[in-house]
Formats: sequence, C-alpha cells, structure tokens
Amino acid sequence: MTAMLVGPAPYIYVCTRMRVRKSKLIPRDEYLRMLNMGLPEITRFIEETEYKTEIDELGTSFKGMDLIEIGLSWNLAKEYQRILDITPGFLKEFTTAYLRRWDIQNVLTIIRGKMQGMSQGKIKEVLIPAGELDRVFLDRLLTEDTPERIAEALKGQKIYPILARDLPSALADGSLARLENELYKQFYSDLLVDARSGVKGGPQFEEFIKLDIDITNIKSLFRLRGDNLQEEAGDMMIPGATFSVDELQRLNSMENQNEFIDSIKNKIKLRPLLEIIDEFREKQSVRQIEVALIRVQLRQMERMAKIYPFSIHPILSYLEMKKYEVFNLRALARGKESNLESESIKGYLVM
Amino acid sequence: MALRDIKPTRSELIALKRRIALSERGYKILKMKRDGLILEFFKILEQAKDSRGELLAKYRRAVETMAFANTIEGAIGVKSAAFSVKEVPQIDLKSKNIMGVVVPEIESSKVKKSLVDRGYGVLGTTSAIDETALAFEELVEAIIESAEIETTMKRLLEEIESTKRRVNALEFKVIPELTEARDFIKMRLDEMEREELFRLKKIKARSV
Repeated sequence: MTAMLVGPAPYIYVCTRMRVRKSKLIPRDEYLRMLNMGLPEITRFIEETEYKTEIDELGTSFKGMDLIEIGLSWNLAKEYQRILDITPGFLKEFTTAYLRRWDIQNVLTIIRGKMQGMSQGKIKEVLIPAGELDRVFLDRLLTEDTPERIAEALKGQKIYPILARDLPSALADGSLARLENELYKQFYSDLLVDARSGVKGGPQFEEFIKLDIDITNIKSLFRLRGDNLQEEAGDMMIPGATFSVDELQRLNSMENQNEFIDSIKNKIKLRPLLEIIDEFREKQSVRQIEVALIRVQLRQMERMAKIYPFSIHPILSYLEMKKYEVFNLRALARGKESNLESESIKGYLVM
Repeated sequence: MALRDIKPTRSELIALKRRIALSERGYKILKMKRDGLILEFFKILEQAKDSRGELLAKYRRAVETMAFANTIEGAIGVKSAAFSVKEVPQIDLKSKNIMGVVVPEIESSKVKKSLVDRGYGVLGTTSAIDETALAFEELVEAIIESAEIETTMKRLLEEIESTKRRVNALEFKVIPELTEARDFIKMRLDEMEREELFRLKKIKARSV
C-alpha cells in the first residue's frame, strides 16, 4: 500500500460526513412503525425516501417486489461508490479493500450463472456492484463465455490468484463451495496484510477486521454444529483473529454445548460478545444466533467509531449500518409479501 | 348367446359343461385376486395417507423457509445461492410385481446433502440458505417417495377395477348364460330322448 501525504482535514471531513449520513438512516422507531404497515404502505414509504431515484430509474424494467429489492440494492451500490469517491488517502484504500467482499459475491454469481447456462440478463439482475469492480467491468465479465475466460478477465485483481489456483479443480469437481471459502479467507488475509502494513490508522482497521473474523467464525461454528459437520470444518474457518483454525476445529468437535460455549468465552474478551454468547446456552435457532451476533458487531463498531472518531471506524460503521438498513427494508417488504407475522419479521431486523 | 343359435347336441353339452367349469374356476380365482388386491390396496392406502400428509407438511415447511430466506437474504441472495445447485437427483426406475400388477420401484440418488456438498460456501451465505436448502431437499425426497406409493396405488386401483369387471362379467353374464345354454341343451336332449322313446313305442305298437 503506497503512503499518501494528506493532512487531517479530509479525514475529519469524511468522518463528519459519515456521521451526518448515519443520522439520516431509518431509526428503530420507524421500523417498528413499518411493522404495522401493509405492503403498499411500506412500498410508498420506501419510494418517498432516498431510494426514490433508483426506484424511478428501474421502474420501466422491473415491477412489484423485484423493483423494490433491486432498487434498494442499486441504492446501496451507488452509496458505497459515492463514499469511495469522498474518502481520502488510506481510508479510501481500507474502504476499497473492505468492499472487495462484494466483488467475490458478484464474480461467483457470474461464474455460477454461466455454469448453469443462465442468460446475461438473469445474472445481471442478481449482481450488486458495491465493490471495487464497477457495473461496466461486471458487464464485461458477463459477456465472457466460460468461467476460465471470466477468471482470465480478472487478471490483475486481488481475487485473481485464488481463482487461477482453485477454479480448475472447482470446475472439475462441479462445486464452487471450496473456492468461495478460499476467496473469503484470502479476502480477510489481504485485509490483515493491509492493516498491518504500518500505515496510520492500520491498527484501528485491524481491530475491526479481527472483530469481523471472530463474529464470522462464531457464526460458522454454530452453523456447522447445527449440521453436525465435523470433517472439513477447518476449511471454513478464517485464521488471523482470536481463534486459530485448530482451536476452531476443536471447538466444533465438542459435543457438549455448555463446554463449547465456555471454551469460546475463555478466549473472547469483548464484554458485549461475552454476554450474548451466554444466552446461546439455551436452545436457539442458528438464525437467531446470527442476528444476535450481527447486532453485537454493529454496536461494537458504533462504539469503536466513537472511540476513534477520525479513523476508518465511522466509515465502516456507516457502511454496515447502511447495508442493514437495506436488508431491513427488504426484509419488511418481502416478509409482508409472504404474509409473515410482524413478530417473525421483527426477529430478523437488525436495529 | 341366443338360445336359438345353440345346437342341442351331446358334444355341445360336454363342451358347455367344460366351459362352465372353466368359468367357475376362473371366477373363483379372479374373486380371490380381487380380494387380495383390495387388501394390498388398503395397506398401500395407509402408506399413501402418511406420505401425502408428510409431503404436504414438507411442502408447507419448504414454502415457509423460502419466505424466510427471501425475507432475510432477499430474492437476489436466494437466486445467487440457487445457482450453486450442480446436479439434479437421478431417479432409477425398477419394477416389482404385486399379484400380477407391475408397479414401479423408485430409487433415487441421495438428495439430502451436507453443508459442504451443497455447492455454496459457508463464508458467503447465512443459515437461512441452509434451512431453505434442507427443507427443499426433504421435499424432493418426499415427492420421490410419494411418487412410488401413489403410482402403486393408482395401478392397483386400475387392476382392482378391471378384475372387478371380469368377476362381474363372469358372475352375472358368462356363467348364467352358459348355465342357461346347458340347461336348454339338457332339456332339448331329454325331449328328443322322450320323442325317440315315444316314436319307438308307436312303431312297436303298429308292428304288433
């Protein structure tokens, strides 16, 4: 990562902008109010907020729930790109690196869609160009005929080395699961390298990455335990944070739930996480556990943003909160469309 | 069989008696087959009731988890994960024989998969996708199981219906008509015998 000489003003500016944007996000009370609304009211509410531009833009191509969902995703992608535009220096590089997870998702979706013989239009509908690879680049990938050519077109990108290494075996195997896990593991490894490169603000970024890795690993552990999957569990764990892969593998093989939770608690130092993990002793669905962990992560990110007001934290905190606003609105609309009870929908909202 | 078409001869009577005996034997066998098929049908019916109930419950569960997955992951996330499905279940169709009725025996490749075999990565998805995938895998398994039971039931019903028609035809049409024809021939032969006897007496009386 190349060093950039910039003064503190741009950092203060962008962090302040993030705080302003965060204040404009839909508050908890509004979600509670929306839970009592019908689908047409929720749709109107969404159309009257800042998502209006995208909904109007896409109105001719999509309709109904698809319009809402794709409009929300487009807004998220555009918002992320706008933030990248105003973010200076190292913060921009950290933010770009963090948003690369969307590139992984988009590239894998394109490869899978091509393997399934889906049309370009159908694949395009499910892409969210919120990462480093913009819409034009993704459109170019869509025109490639084979997964190998898609990988070749990504030469020079961060994900290329793993794609070049693992794609042939994944195609031979017919499953991209392992490749997907490897890409995410490499993504976190790259983030840690960037954070530890000695640049200013790196330690704060590393703190966030470790939190993200820990939360992701704990979520994966609960999912794997729910599926009683013992072998290959290590392949799905991300190294570099509180737990080593061996420790995670050992945790996964523990049969007793209390023993498992105690072992996690012995290593974790974050108080809110410790408190929430204790609640998992009682039988809960994996989804409930995931939502609870996401809530803890967001609260912790918010806390870190307050401790380091002119660092990467306010930006990352906003990015995550914006993402969950989109997810919440989508959940409300989709949930109402499927006639789910308000209480059920509420359980899936991150607010 | 119209009685006027019947030749009242002894050979015809013997042939008719043979046909009646054959028909009665066939009637008994077909009746036993029908009863046996009905017993088999009721056994299958119990299984069909269970499998249909199970199928319905699994369908409801699958639809519900899909609704939850759409709520949590959005249609985009669900479609993106669905692109990971790499194979369709392979169905191996064999047949077995239940009292002469050929019914299918369906064997399928394993539909239910573990988390690692589903084709999507754990790190890029959530448990909502796992739950939905599992619910639909169970639904597909239930459909395959139901297909075997329901087809067996349908074939048994068709066979019961046709056997019942044959039994009824024998009982109410073939055997009564043959019996009537036999009685007619018997009566005609007796009459002819009496006529012959009378004629002989007349001739004897004239010659005396």
